[in-house]
Amino acid sequence: MQSLEEIGVGQTASIADVPGADAVSLRLLEMGLTPGVRVAVVGRAPLGDPVELEVRGYRLSIRRREAALVTVTT
Amino acid sequence: MTEPGGRERPLIVALVGNPNTGKSTLFTALAGIPTRIGNYPGVTVEEKVGRFSHHGRDVDLVDLPGTYSLRAQSPDEQVAVDVLCGRMRGVPKPDCAIVVVDASNLARNLFLTSQVLDLGLPTVVALTLGDLAAERGITVDADSLARRLGCPVIPVVVPQGVGVSTLRDSVVGAAAALPPPPPALAAHLADADAERPPAARDAIARYAWIDGIAADVIRRSDRTGRSRSEAIDAILTHRVWGTLVFAMVMLALFTSIFRLASPAMDLISAGMDGVAAQVEASLPEGPLRSLLVDGVLAGVGGVVVFVPQIALLFLFIAILEGCGYLSRAAFLMDRLLVGAGLSGKSFIPLLSSFACAIPGIMAARTIENRRDRLLTILVAPLMSCSARLPVYLLLCGAFVPDAAVVFPWLRLPAVVLVAMYALGVIVAAAVAFGLSRTVFRGPPQPFVMELPGWRWPQAAVVLERVREAAWSFLKNAGTLILAMSIVLWALGTYPRPVLPAGGEFTEAEARGEALRQSFLGRAGRAIEPLVKPLGWDWRLGCAALASFPAREVVLGTLGVIYNLGDVDPGDEEGGTMLVRRLKAATWDGTERKVFSLPVALSIMVFFALCAQCASTLAVIGRETGSWVWPVVTFAYMTSLAWLGAFAIYQLGTALGW
Ligand SMILES: Nc1nc2c(ncn2[C@@H]2O[C@H](COP(=O)(O)OP(=O)(O)O)[C@@H](O)[C@H]2O)c(=O)[nH]1
Repeated sequence: MQSLEEIGVGQTASIADVPGADAVSLRLLEMGLTPGVRVAVVGRAPLGDPVELEVRGYRLSIRRREAALVTVTT
Repeated sequence: MTEPGGRERPLIVALVGNPNTGKSTLFTALAGIPTRIGNYPGVTVEEKVGRFSHHGRDVDLVDLPGTYSLRAQSPDEQVAVDVLCGRMRGVPKPDCAIVVVDASNLARNLFLTSQVLDLGLPTVVALTLGDLAAERGITVDADSLARRLGCPVIPVVVPQGVGVSTLRDSVVGAAAALPPPPPALAAHLADADAERPPAARDAIARYAWIDGIAADVIRRSDRTGRSRSEAIDAILTHRVWGTLVFAMVMLALFTSIFRLASPAMDLISAGMDGVAAQVEASLPEGPLRSLLVDGVLAGVGGVVVFVPQIALLFLFIAILEGCGYLSRAAFLMDRLLVGAGLSGKSFIPLLSSFACAIPGIMAARTIENRRDRLLTILVAPLMSCSARLPVYLLLCGAFVPDAAVVFPWLRLPAVVLVAMYALGVIVAAAVAFGLSRTVFRGPPQPFVMELPGWRWPQAAVVLERVREAAWSFLKNAGTLILAMSIVLWALGTYPRPVLPAGGEFTEAEARGEALRQSFLGRAGRAIEPLVKPLGWDWRLGCAALASFPAREVVLGTLGVIYNLGDVDPGDEEGGTMLVRRLKAATWDGTERKVFSLPVALSIMVFFALCAQCASTLAVIGRETGSWVWPVVTFAYMTSLAWLGAFAIYQLGTALGW
């Protein structure tokens, strides 16, 4: 299983899970990163972090550390 | 719903929604200028209430902070829940809730909507940004959405004047109607995996419910190519172009608060001088005149003079926020600030603080995360503001030898000047890092941030932000700053000086004597043992104390204390006079010169790091809603300033500079 952090710019993946029980994981679920949803990594900030995602038709910025909390399948 | 007087009491309507959905735009369209702005008791969450009248019915519109969820994890969310449930002191339970839903981003917006529906309040959905959705080939069928949600759904596009009055009708009608049934989540909840924490289960179940609705109500037309918003976004977050645009925008922002504001500030100073001259001409010399001119008028001028910078900065911020660039700026800069325990959102407040910490600290309002906001406010005054520049310039010019550093064109005074700016930045980074690992330690703060689609800002909303920022500064911080300047005037004026009999005194000498004999002057003498290790004589200590109202007065105070009278250190002549006098100054009763390179450096380092600015402390107090933070800021900055000045003076003396 891959984490969202490993997905390169321009690639898409399908969210497998956000298994954590911490505040950040819950916020990610609330923002719509729920199992089964397609997510595209649209870009990355010039300094390498954070990443820009497209999910459920909108753009979301999360840090790589946060992306690591999301497991995906490609 | 009638009050004892027979008149119907106003309906209470709460406005909730995700950030960036056009909620402020809708508030302004419905209610105009807010009738009440303040803070909810005990928290620094803004309370904003507006009133409108519809078919003879008064409606109080309560704007709630923009939130993604009602899980009550942050103070903003807690306030939203408390108001909606009627648990907030001073706010009656709402008769109706308006949920603002972004049509171009329906699924995520329905998440909050489903939570509001659960509360069992009569609810109306305002479906905004339909024009942006259409541009992206998305249409939302409002009627079927209304059927699925069980509550009215009114499409509203404020910029085109669509839907506002229908929304008013609907709100007044809904308040009298039965609340909608809560969303049928039970089936989805039962499906969810019991191993998960309840909040996660709840979120997944809500999205399952939402997916069912979205499939029914969203129509997508085939579109070819990228939308305008995506094309703009591709440039704005591009490695090279994005960085370039960012640098240009920030340069424009910075130069405008640094330079564009100065004509207005000069005008204000000139106006205040004019009024002061009037008062001086019409009142006899005496304590009353001195109080009015040097206390009250100087204080009022010292407050009003900040308004142009605040207004300009908030104009910029409101425009950037309105078009969706503010979060992109934070996205671009985040990495740089994360190392210091801050976030990308701290960038604009800190950058603005190089012009002046006051608008900078106010700009920290755009940081939703409380911890990041507080940290940013605490370190913002370490950025070298424009009031420190004259101090640096004068001392660098007068006491730093004009030697070459490595290259013939690189002069030492310029290097020292840059070093002073760098010192502030480095210390700020270290302080933020230290605090974020100690006092503010906690679980990692999420930086989960929407990058909203590109759109045109609404003039009415932009102007309202500017007006609100300027007004809240004048009303809250302004009165406090004024009070402080009157107190400081008194400390610098009383007790009246006793001039030794028989001596002939010039006016400048008399003024110098008056300051030296005042409470402030005495305090300066009293703290001499404290400032001696910095290489300062008591006059310098006194000048540093007297500069508490505002750093920029330190040069003027030095002029007074060295018997120059009121010189303007800013102009050529005044500057040279002051430098000549400083160079000639000796320790009391000796021939030993006070000023040397180490002393000049020690003064500069002290001013780079100290919190000698009453207005900044007042604004910190107001923005954090607590007296603790200005005290903490003053204490830590003064300690650092003293230590820094001590270190550089001792080092310089030991090395024989
Ligand atoms: N195209 C379009 N823009 C809108 C609409 N409503 C608001 N806006 C713009 O969206 C931006 C954000 O609006 P604002 O009211 O500040 O959003 P808030 O964060 O929810 O309070 C502003 O630039 C508004 O001009 C709308 O219906 N259509």
